[in-house]
Amino acid sequence: MPGKPLDPSFVARRVAQELFPGAVVALGPGLPWGLPSALRNGSGVWLVSDSGFLGFQGPGTEAADGECQTVVMLSGGAYTGVVDIGGILRGGHTDIAVLQPAQVSANGDFVHWTTAATQGLFAPGPAVDMAYGASKVVAVIPHQNADGSSTILGQCSLPVDGAGQVDMIISDAAVINVSQDGLELVEIAPGWTVDEVVAMTDAQLSISSVKEMGFEVPALEMPNKVYPSALEALKDVPEGSIINVDGFAGPGGMAHYLMVGLRDLGVKGLQLISNTAGVARVSGFGAPNIIDHSILVENNQVAKATASYPVSPSASRPSAFEEAYNRGETELEVVPQGTLAERLRCGGAGVAAFYTPTGAGTLLGEGKEARSIGGKEYILETGLRADFCIIRGYKADTLGNVVYKGTSRNFNPVMATTAKITVVEVDEIVEPGELGPEEIVTPGLFVDRIVVRPPEFSAYL
Amino acid sequence: MTSVPEKPTANGKIFPTAQAALEGVFDGASVLVAGWSASDEPEKLLRGLGEIGVGNLTLVCQGAWAQKPGKFGIGDLIATGQVKKMVSPLPFHPEYGGPVKDRWKSGELELEVVPQGVLAERLRAGGAGIGGVFLPTGARTRFAEGKELRPFDGKEHVLEFALKADFALLRAKTADTLGNMVYEGTGRNWNPIMAMAATVTVAEVDQVVEPGGLNPELVITQAIFIDRLVSAI
Repeated sequence: MPGKPLDPSFVARRVAQELFPGAVVALGPGLPWGLPSALRNGSGVWLVSDSGFLGFQGPGTEAADGECQTVVMLSGGAYTGVVDIGGILRGGHTDIAVLQPAQVSANGDFVHWTTAATQGLFAPGPAVDMAYGASKVVAVIPHQNADGSSTILGQCSLPVDGAGQVDMIISDAAVINVSQDGLELVEIAPGWTVDEVVAMTDAQLSISSVKEMGFEVPALEMPNKVYPSALEALKDVPEGSIINVDGFAGPGGMAHYLMVGLRDLGVKGLQLISNTAGVARVSGFGAPNIIDHSILVENNQVAKATASYPVSPSASRPSAFEEAYNRGETELEVVPQGTLAERLRCGGAGVAAFYTPTGAGTLLGEGKEARSIGGKEYILETGLRADFCIIRGYKADTLGNVVYKGTSRNFNPVMATTAKITVVEVDEIVEPGELGPEEIVTPGLFVDRIVVRPPEFSAYL
Repeated sequence: MTSVPEKPTANGKIFPTAQAALEGVFDGASVLVAGWSASDEPEKLLRGLGEIGVGNLTLVCQGAWAQKPGKFGIGDLIATGQVKKMVSPLPFHPEYGGPVKDRWKSGELELEVVPQGVLAERLRAGGAGIGGVFLPTGARTRFAEGKELRPFDGKEHVLEFALKADFALLRAKTADTLGNMVYEGTGRNWNPIMAMAATVTVAEVDQVVEPGGLNPELVITQAIFIDRLVSAI
């Protein structure tokens, strides 16, 4: 007699073993929602619901999705909307997506909700975004349907919602890895034999070493993000890095302390993406010794700038960058401000390219694909991504949630989404929960490192 | 001196009834409806649409899931037969079915089923003046059928075009009289992008405060996107 199918709570506990500290984990509808309750402490990872919860645990008092699951927002959790969730899922920010497909095939195709119950109507919901966006996709399924047919097939028998996207299957009887070589049975649930699992799987399983499934839930703690100094937070910036530098034009919302840190590190060949290439000093905003991109240019660290305001407003007072450019020492890519913002947003939200009307028919459109859509001319612009990002917040909590002050918000939130490593400089670091979930502008999952702006720098500007 | 005609139906952006706030919705209009799996829907505005009885509507929304008894939701509007097409990532819950499934089965309702993030991005593009976007979502599936494909960084992407509508029906917690709005919890959902993607936006709100009553750092939907307000109560 074959083994007994695992209770969904045990399947969820096995899924928990795939998590790691700080992981961003998206949950599709159905069985994946066992995970929030399985975690002893949900604060070590970022659970993401497509309805707009970031950082929660279950069960709780708030309805989390249409399936009547309940959750509780953790201290340091944030609410967001559908379009930002889409960016989190698609833009390389999601480490693990947990889905419940109706079928999974040997090459990782899956069918989401097309079942007998829907009579042929399919409902991709957020599952397709999760599958195409997450670094790892775990399918959580009953091994067999109620009629005894296998949910794991050589080929899906219905139109697929994702092609080759599933990396791992955790069923109520087994754990199966999915790769280009097909399916490999790696674990079986207690009480089952390998032969029994093979017999009820309608796909070829390769078998080399099979363990018994364990259900210990790992203790996960959020990695520390608070760094003692700008130098410590930036010491691994390699030569030639692409760096997002926040700020608008004047000193407001600019990460001066981190900028000085970059200068003191002396790392060369930097490619800056920023609204200006350093005009605050020549514009005379604030103090005469004002810090801007010029300190990096003068230290011969800048190889290129991508900017919308690369030059000084006064021809008689050129900026350090202009002088370097005129000497042939730097490259320059000029981008209109809205296009710069949109290219960053697309880079961070997993949009490869977009058609914008801005600059069509001008020098800015030269060499770019032009296209007429609905009788209007557009040009194709691509998403921008960076290696590092230095931004200026007002307050951050230790999880990396950030709020800004006034117009210093400017490029900060969008830049935070586009870099491999985002470093934020704030006036004050507070405990999780001190920034309200409706108030957080940059959710902590985008922020990797936090430093406090020292008192010798100007007060909030 | 120019004389400004009085608006009989509204006090600035504030309209006395849902029907008044929906003035101008025409036969065949496209309507965005915020809300999430039967939660946080603009119930009063949906009822208003039902009362006006205007037909051949195209609804763009999350889906029509089972409503709580006594409530009027997207499914109830669909049951009236006023909707000819629905664009949605989760049209109905399989165990509920309801009017969407019935009318779709009988051929009275056309469905365009799209991944949620793709719909959100199409609306965002519509609202932000972007003509189209290349997304990785749904490559090599039915969601890419008939669409332009292009590789970026070695990965296939699908061209999706911007989506705009004639009207948007929104639901917020608090608005000021100018139309600045804040939401509560996951009630934010589709509202901020739908607010940008329609010609006329109508928001149903729990309370209206004077300008200055909302913290400018916390406003999620800016007044420039909101045309009409109506009280939910």
